[in-house]
Amino acid sequence: MKGDRLLRTLRILITMAAVAAVAAPVFLSRTPWPSTARDYLERAGVADSGAINLVSAIYLGYRAFDTLGETIVLLVAVSGTISILSRSGASLAPGFGSVAADNASFSLPQDKPTTHTLRTHLIEVVTGKLGPVVLLFGFYLMLYGHLSPGGGFQGGVVIASGIVFIAIGSRRDASTWLTKASALNKIESLGFLLLMSAALSGVFAGKGVLGNPLDGPLFGKAAFIIVLNIVIGLKVGSGIGFMCIAMLGRHRS
Amino acid sequence: MMVILLLALIVVLAVFSLASKDLLHSVIALSAISLLSTLLFYILRAPDVAITEAAVGAGVTTVIFVWALRNTDRMDRDR
Repeated sequence: MKGDRLLRTLRILITMAAVAAVAAPVFLSRTPWPSTARDYLERAGVADSGAINLVSAIYLGYRAFDTLGETIVLLVAVSGTISILSRSGASLAPGFGSVAADNASFSLPQDKPTTHTLRTHLIEVVTGKLGPVVLLFGFYLMLYGHLSPGGGFQGGVVIASGIVFIAIGSRRDASTWLTKASALNKIESLGFLLLMSAALSGVFAGKGVLGNPLDGPLFGKAAFIIVLNIVIGLKVGSGIGFMCIAMLGRHRS
Repeated sequence: MMVILLLALIVVLAVFSLASKDLLHSVIALSAISLLSTLLFYILRAPDVAITEAAVGAGVTTVIFVWALRNTDRMDRDR
């Protein structure tokens, strides 16, 4: 047992040494950082995209196609996780697996959740009261992503945290529509549909895929970024919230 | 100086989370790493990344890890 522990420590030390050896050239190099793109963004970023927060100017203005790809990757990840889990017989919250599997194995409709025996009043009160505040903060991040740090992804993940808080904090019999599987499902599907239509809407305005169709005298340039932020935020929030609430479900007995 | 301190703490916590036999402690250590990286990103003036790290690292991944632990074993037994 003593030698076991020594071996374990030795392995960790060797791993750390290897990582240090790989990372050392990065820290020791004196190559100047590339500055062309940075200087260009500093000069023309706000005028090009209308977003004061240059990070969202990049990921929804210059590199919006990458963002579309990321969103699709996230969608595939969430749906793949849920479909694998619902077939593996692991514990999911009732209603969150596929319908057939629900009826077959792990969900009885009138079944009371039995997971919350360790839940104290402290957790219940704090998370229940904090949930709406976190949701509000998430919506702030989502809506003001073009002005202050934040944006669709960040706001969406914070919204998902708020949904999880509400799900933990709600009392046993009380539940809101926000934590139901069907509602989250619908929001996510609607978000993806809106994202696709927003992406294609530039084509009809003669700007190409993900071009800015709202770039005119009526709206500011940032209007398209706001729309994309809202849509991505709803999609990410409902998707990740769906996954987390499904996992919060019940204990395998 | 603050950056070096935070990085050193992150390394310490990472080693702890590798070495700990109780996997729940490892998960909490990972969550603490995310919290420290959030501070680090904020000091390095990347507030967008800091928000993402706080929400994803300290929130969502902890939920997923705890769920995985609940469905498997809490204690690490590697031999």
